[in-house]
Amino acid sequence: MPLQPWMKLLSTDDHLIEPPTLWSDRLPAKYRESGPRIVEQPRKEGSAPAEVWSYEGRIYPYIGLNAVAGKKPEEFGMEPTRYDEMIPGCYDPKARIRDMDLDGVWGALSFPSFPRFAGTVFLEGEDRELARLCVQAWNDFVLDEWCATAPDRLIPLVILPVWDVRECVAEIHRTADKGAKAVAFPENPVPLGLPSFHTDHWDPVFSAVEETDMPLCLHFGTSGNAPKTAPEAPFAVTISLFGCNSMYSTADLLFSPVFHKHPKLKVGLSEGGIGWMPYLLERIDLTWERHRFYQNVNQEVRPSELFYKHIHGCFIDDRFGVKVRHEIGVDHITWECDYPHSDSYWPKSRAYAEEVLANVPDDEVHKIVELNTRRLYNLPA
Amino acid sequence: MNRLPESERSDWTDLDLLTREEASSRLKEEIAGIEPRLAELGDAHPAERELLESRRRALREAIDGLAGS
Repeated sequence: MPLQPWMKLLSTDDHLIEPPTLWSDRLPAKYRESGPRIVEQPRKEGSAPAEVWSYEGRIYPYIGLNAVAGKKPEEFGMEPTRYDEMIPGCYDPKARIRDMDLDGVWGALSFPSFPRFAGTVFLEGEDRELARLCVQAWNDFVLDEWCATAPDRLIPLVILPVWDVRECVAEIHRTADKGAKAVAFPENPVPLGLPSFHTDHWDPVFSAVEETDMPLCLHFGTSGNAPKTAPEAPFAVTISLFGCNSMYSTADLLFSPVFHKHPKLKVGLSEGGIGWMPYLLERIDLTWERHRFYQNVNQEVRPSELFYKHIHGCFIDDRFGVKVRHEIGVDHITWECDYPHSDSYWPKSRAYAEEVLANVPDDEVHKIVELNTRRLYNLPA
Repeated sequence: MNRLPESERSDWTDLDLLTREEASSRLKEEIAGIEPRLAELGDAHPAERELLESRRRALREAIDGLAGS
């Protein structure tokens, strides 16, 4: 039994749903109306009204229970949903701990939901001061309330006001001082209208996370671009190709100046799986061998060397990835369970991990489920 | 007020959350998986029996919690 009872499962990719008063409890009085707050919208007759977010008058219905992808915009709003329809572990940290206990999971790092996985909803804010305060409020909620419920088990990840590098740096230091362990960041800033990894725009941000020794977590989807082949293609195509976004991020970063300028930077590819890594690294190295001479790429360091120094990934059920773990590097793999999404195996995540890791030696299992995360995210045992 | 969401720019929306109903049904399924093993154990292996009984208790409490809260 390679997954031993004493090994503590740490998930590097879970999610939380923001409680309704997260922002109204924290914003100055003048912003309580325009800041994010829950409002009701009618649903079909006989159903209780849906609860949706209102932010500066815009409606964001996805506190929801049902994936809306593939539906027409007019159909959104009618689906999700109400807090009393979702399991309390989504938004209540005490209930979350109970659910983690049932699931055999010791620790979890949770991404935002309404703000999107890297907080980029606040890029849409018309009032930048309000947007900055909203970012701070989310971070304060995570640090002071959510993770404070069980500081050794709930791992604080924070978001940034990505429209302003100077503010990002200030927020990184402010939250690191309060105990933050990781920073969510867009997998590719360009589709969001922000400068790319190939510019020097983000250098102060990358330096700040190096100084505070926090990994940047690039959750797939945070660029706002989904892999889509045709308007009429079923959503199954997109779901199957989710990991491609993490491949894009990897190639983008390895051929950028980022890791050359930031030798201590750590990047986590969240929810992107791992099985693709050996192929992509082979392809990237081959490209570098043959095509680096006439391009603006580093001429001395093989991209795969950068990968092994800087990047880690995670998986739930990537059996092929587990099989090729030595090509990936066991030290670069972490485990995730994706609670409370219905894709997760709750309440049998531990049993499922045991099955997926059945043929892996104990010491490697221990690294994958616990020790690598402790090392990368600075979590003492 | 614009009633249309910005969901085209959401993170796709990877927010297919567990409902109370789905969570309850998963918990019941888990209990159903434990019970044959408990029957099989009888009075043998008290340590494993205690472990399984305690898990079953916790799962039942979770179902009650979802129904009541």
